[in-house]
Amino acid sequence: MSLATDSSQRRLQLGGLALIAVVAFAAVVTIWFDVALERILTVGFVNRTLMLASPIALAAVGGLYAEKSGVFNIGLEGFMIFGAITAAATLSLVGGTTQLHVWLAIVVAIGVSLALTAGYAVLLIRYKADQIVAGLAVWFMGLGFAPFLASLLWGTVRSPGLASMNRYSIPYLAEVPVVGPILFRQSPLVLVTIVLVVAAWVVLYRTRYGYWIQAAGENPTALDTAGVDVNRVRYATVLFSGAMAGLGGAVLLAHAGTFIGTGDTMVDGRGWIAIVAYLFGNYNPLGAALAALLFGGLEGLQVQFQTVDIAVSGRLMGLLPYVGVIVVLTIWGKTRMPASVGEPYESED
Amino acid sequence: MSDSDTNRPRATLDKIADRLLDATLYERIGIAIGSTGLALLIGLVVVAAAGHNPLLFAQQLVVGSFGSTGAFTRTLRFTTLFILAGVAVAIAFRAGVFNIGVQGQLIVGGIACVLSIIWLAPFVPAGAVGGVGLTLVGLLAAVVAGGLYAALPGVLKAYYGANEIITTIMLNFIAIGIVGWAVDGPLRPDDARSVRTEYLPEGVAFPQLVFSDPNFSIVGLALALAVVGVVAVGMARTSFGYDMVTSGYQTSAARFAGVDPQRTIVATMTLSGMVAGLVGAVFAIMVQGYFIDPSGIGTYGFDAIAVSLLAANNPVGVVPASLLFGALESSGSHVQIHSDVPVQLIDGIVGVVVLFVAAPELFRMIAKRTGLGGDRR
Repeated sequence: MSLATDSSQRRLQLGGLALIAVVAFAAVVTIWFDVALERILTVGFVNRTLMLASPIALAAVGGLYAEKSGVFNIGLEGFMIFGAITAAATLSLVGGTTQLHVWLAIVVAIGVSLALTAGYAVLLIRYKADQIVAGLAVWFMGLGFAPFLASLLWGTVRSPGLASMNRYSIPYLAEVPVVGPILFRQSPLVLVTIVLVVAAWVVLYRTRYGYWIQAAGENPTALDTAGVDVNRVRYATVLFSGAMAGLGGAVLLAHAGTFIGTGDTMVDGRGWIAIVAYLFGNYNPLGAALAALLFGGLEGLQVQFQTVDIAVSGRLMGLLPYVGVIVVLTIWGKTRMPASVGEPYESED
Repeated sequence: MSDSDTNRPRATLDKIADRLLDATLYERIGIAIGSTGLALLIGLVVVAAAGHNPLLFAQQLVVGSFGSTGAFTRTLRFTTLFILAGVAVAIAFRAGVFNIGVQGQLIVGGIACVLSIIWLAPFVPAGAVGGVGLTLVGLLAAVVAGGLYAALPGVLKAYYGANEIITTIMLNFIAIGIVGWAVDGPLRPDDARSVRTEYLPEGVAFPQLVFSDPNFSIVGLALALAVVGVVAVGMARTSFGYDMVTSGYQTSAARFAGVDPQRTIVATMTLSGMVAGLVGAVFAIMVQGYFIDPSGIGTYGFDAIAVSLLAANNPVGVVPASLLFGALESSGSHVQIHSDVPVQLIDGIVGVVVLFVAAPELFRMIAKRTGLGGDRR
């Protein structure tokens, strides 16, 4: 136990260090380019960061549930791609333009992701597939089938402009300076993300089922002895992780309003970043969400720099989150994984 | 284990190595064929579901890969790239290091090759001798650059515990971003209408000996096969190869036998990246003749993962697996022009192959149910 608190303390320090580094970086930038800091750290930047962080946070929370229970779902990136293309295809097929259609597309994306994850979970748990290779396979399938479907539907790998999720705006409250536009004029999907993150934390640490999940990853034999079906818990968490990744992909699409299937698709590594986010967050949903904010913020800086006319190539600025991931993994690579991750469990009876 | 008998870990390692070498060979071939066949079948079902004629599509796959001399040399061109990239992946996977960064390493190797040749060209006499010299310099530069770009995640894994799967994927994105930026910016000649570097000078090419395809040379294929030979012998016959392979399968036993796991990881990644860099050089010299925005380059480094897995990470097995993937990729060029079926389907099929390779239990069960495969486990 003392080990755990030690590591979480060290993590807090590191998180603080990361924050200081970001602030220092911002300071250097402002002095170097002679731009006032408040022009970088705007309300718009905070909002953009929240929107960019949401898909990563959703996938990260899903991934950490699976890994807590002992299954490494490395296919998050792939399921995000499937979520995004499903949502886009749904919107396009129903010809939807209203907000209701966008919600429908998100629900369909979750459903399709669940169905795909079910097959994946059977391969992982029943047929003891290599979790790393199978996860990569999901990514490759996403990279192939999503642009394939896009070509079938639209003739190119890029969708035309589709409906996107509008922000809600609460009268009067939205006028409150700073806090108003962030809390009361916001994408509803950001709120959904926050609610899901908090709920995931409560379930994992405050309910019996949460303890089962942790036990399935730490000591499956004990859980089995206590009369709980380990593999059933694992099926549930893997399904949850696929659904959350699919939701993350759908949220990404709902914010963007267009599906892009070129290169590594519009998901562009966010699923992999999600894995790093939950490692950095020490498998804690709240920590994972904070880490997602860090990566979302790095991504958001690109737009901020363009708006204040700092002449750094957008393409190079876009690499910041990837560099951030490597830095985070290097400083904090030795995460203590749940003891039985990656090991298929076979009951004695 | 008691440490009184120092020969015991060595004996354990010998036993493990023996067991890996024989046995399961037939089973692995069966799984490879089963995975590919089943994945292709699923692909055809998808074609039918999309409202196209699956038989026509299957025919186009064959015609597009082996149907003419042109198609065949194109198949050999991709086969060459897949052999090298597949060996790069196999080196790492065999040692239990998941180098997903072959794509990034081949990009870095390719650009290093092109730049070193272009920069050195003014100092070298024109003509055949200069051309050969520059080609060799380019190959060397690619090997060094690829090796260094892979050594970085190797060091981060060995000494800082950073998961190499994620760092290598991030380094792919970073390589594509930086090289793509450079090719569109400082490295782009003023008169270039498309995003590219300068052309390689005249004499820099692999000689055309057998086929007259400007984008394929038998020398490239020979080079790839030579690398296969060197790596296969190196893995099986040298003590370093032995350490590498055993530390991949039995980390604790290898450590017990005195293998330094950290150094093995870094060396493995570097070696893997060196071969990956070579892919980039062969691509630049033999196929392209210059370098383009890497986001537009074929995903040889990713498909190579499927190639290597299909070959059970055996460098010799990589050759037939590469021929298969070379044929698939080659037929993709044909399908793109002559078929209404979107060519991305082939990438999807590759993903399905990998999925099946990941689950050998599935095939064992199928074999048991259908009575195929006799009494093998």
